Amino acid sequence: MKLNKLFVLTLTSIVMISCGSNDDPQIDVPANYEFTRNGESTVSFTGQTTRIKMTTELVGAINDFDNSTKELLLQMYRNQTADGGDANPYSDEELNAATKNVKSKVAASTDYFSTNTTVSAELKNQFETWLINQIEEVYPNENTMAEPGQPGQIADGSSTRYVNGKGFEYNQLVGKSLIGALMTDQILNNYISTSVLDAGTNREDNNNGTLAEGSNYTNMEHKWDEAYGYLYGTATDLSNPVPTTGDDDAFLNKYLGRLEADEDFAGISQEVFDAFKLGRAAIVAGEYAVRDKQAQIIRENLSKAIAVRAVYYLQSGKNALDQETPDYGAAFHDLSEGYGFIFSLQFTRVPNSDSPYLTKTDVDGFLAQLTQGNGLWEVTPQTLDNIAQEIAGQFDFTIEEAAN
Amino acid sequence: MKKIAIILLTLFALWSCTKDGPSGPNVDDFDREAILVNWSDNIIIPSFTAFSGSADQLHSDASAFAQAPTLQNLEILRNSWKSAYLAFQHVSMFEMGKAMELRFRDNLNIYPTDTTEIETNIMEGNYNLELSSLNDSQGFPALDYMLNGLGANDTETLAFYTTHENSNGYLTYLTDLTARIQFLSSEVLTDWTSGYRDEFVSNSGNGANSSLDMMVNDYIYYYEKHLRAGKIGIPAGVFSGSPLSTHVEAYYSDAFSKSLFNEALNASQNFFNGTHFESNTSGESLKSYLDFLNTMKDGTDLATLINNQFDAAREEAKILNDNFAEQVESNNNLMLSTYDQLQLNVVYMKVDMLQALNINVDYVDADGD
Repeated sequence: MKLNKLFVLTLTSIVMISCGSNDDPQIDVPANYEFTRNGESTVSFTGQTTRIKMTTELVGAINDFDNSTKELLLQMYRNQTADGGDANPYSDEELNAATKNVKSKVAASTDYFSTNTTVSAELKNQFETWLINQIEEVYPNENTMAEPGQPGQIADGSSTRYVNGKGFEYNQLVGKSLIGALMTDQILNNYISTSVLDAGTNREDNNNGTLAEGSNYTNMEHKWDEAYGYLYGTATDLSNPVPTTGDDDAFLNKYLGRLEADEDFAGISQEVFDAFKLGRAAIVAGEYAVRDKQAQIIRENLSKAIAVRAVYYLQSGKNALDQETPDYGAAFHDLSEGYGFIFSLQFTRVPNSDSPYLTKTDVDGFLAQLTQGNGLWEVTPQTLDNIAQEIAGQFDFTIEEAAN
Repeated sequence: MKKIAIILLTLFALWSCTKDGPSGPNVDDFDREAILVNWSDNIIIPSFTAFSGSADQLHSDASAFAQAPTLQNLEILRNSWKSAYLAFQHVSMFEMGKAMELRFRDNLNIYPTDTTEIETNIMEGNYNLELSSLNDSQGFPALDYMLNGLGANDTETLAFYTTHENSNGYLTYLTDLTARIQFLSSEVLTDWTSGYRDEFVSNSGNGANSSLDMMVNDYIYYYEKHLRAGKIGIPAGVFSGSPLSTHVEAYYSDAFSKSLFNEALNASQNFFNGTHFESNTSGESLKSYLDFLNTMKDGTDLATLINNQFDAAREEAKILNDNFAEQVESNNNLMLSTYDQLQLNVVYMKVDMLQALNINVDYVDADGD
């Protein structure tokens, strides 16, 4: 009997603790990411959808040897001609008609870059350099065998990879680095930041239900939705994206899906979505502490997704190199992806802080180790292990958990 | 030392006896080296020797045709191509050592072949067949197109090599293709006979990098991806949802795809049974290893199940049209039922056999990006 009493008491305590925790009963959280006002949706993130689609076309065009030119690739990046005129570089007419572009949102978050425009410009230009190098180094050598110092092609299983003289694929460098420089930076350091959400009179307007001009949403609601759009902007079901997370784009969405598929990280995709949804509901309810707590959850998990993939590709590359007959093609492909994820680490964000898990200096140091001399042709397994260890050391996962 | 060994052995024996599950011979007690010797000396090296010989013949007949592009020489060349293609079915599964380094199978048998690229190569003339981007415009499938797919009939085909404005380009490409097959096959054979055989046999441990583990993985990979999927499943639309008759092996030949399939199926079964190349004699093999372990599945001997399943697939394929492209178009269900029979053996070999032999699968489907 005594035992029973204790049991009931414990149970009651648990129930009370549950009720008293963050899920403030005043917040009405919908099943899907659906929010309305006067019967109309208040959710909008078309600009993010557009940029994901532009990025997809850009990355796809990098290895289109028959059709791409330097001008075309740069126009896809800027959505402008070299002299600032109107360009039509995309196959999708909606994208050509759009006034948005990729470049202006690269390394452009309020928290990290509003007072750091020198670095912002440097990072923006880095992508242009890669695009130009692809045309100048790799295109003329499309039908040349790659060797140390010699750009060209190399076999990876039954695929053919096109690499620069150091063994890197520029399409992977651009694509994977944009995951950090565009999607992650915009989400973590811009749209879910207090500085952006609470900018100007946003809080007052949100409290009073004052809508943005010509819209059905408050500014704060909209900022949060724009963050959501950089992860789910091309989802099959925009309000219920969890079932297809991983399949909806080739950027942050895809690699969050890759973590979900690894049993060591299963559940992460739901956790991120739930945080986005609860944070948005908290904004509607005017519960800003709850909102900010969700932002930290998003920061932690999306930063981790990038770090896990960086370590994953470093380990895959190491395994391909570290054998009797090194599989250079497979290693170069993995390590090119790894390069992009390492690059992306400088855009991560430690929760409740203003800093990334690894700084630009850390990142530049890692990348220098990969590119020195003949680059991937001579990088050692030891170097790859060391970098992986230094990355994992900043997070709560092990190399083994990330590698499988 | 001896005493310690005896004590350890006794302990080991005791431990073996006390562990749960069916008692029986230990997987490590079998002489793995005997299997490796039988594979190398009686199957792999004789198969590569035969293939290399037929590749020599193929190139010499292509060169003769280039000297005198007559209908008679074309027929001779077509026959050499068929013999070499059949001989290739006996070596395609051995993608290890030098063959792996050279990416032998990708160079020799990617189909469907890229006919646009072939025509571009011939027109421009400055191709490098070592490039992996040209894998799908060389090897047996490219020769299939060059010998059987250029024209609607023999006269038209021959015209490409005689009266066409770039007939020299066609003749050169043809002999470059056969020269490359000859070169690659001789490279692999030489490697086996000049050291790799001993290296292969002496690596007789039971780790993931041992010869037996790697060979078994390569063999099952070949069976799954190239025999089951490549020859039957992909053209039957198992993976794409709709049938792809242009994806059959030897698409441009009238009635050769089934012969290639049967040859490959026989070669696979012979390998499983340790049957010597072109002989009825058998030696140590996966079958004898399973027999030694007395491996049962649902009360039946696993080796027998696997052999029965090979036979069932062969039996199912008997009613297929000799031309798989026609079969896919006329009654694809027969292709699908052959696929199903082949698939059953994937389960027996990849799951049950590997479990019995304590071998891990070392390949996974690629990342896809």
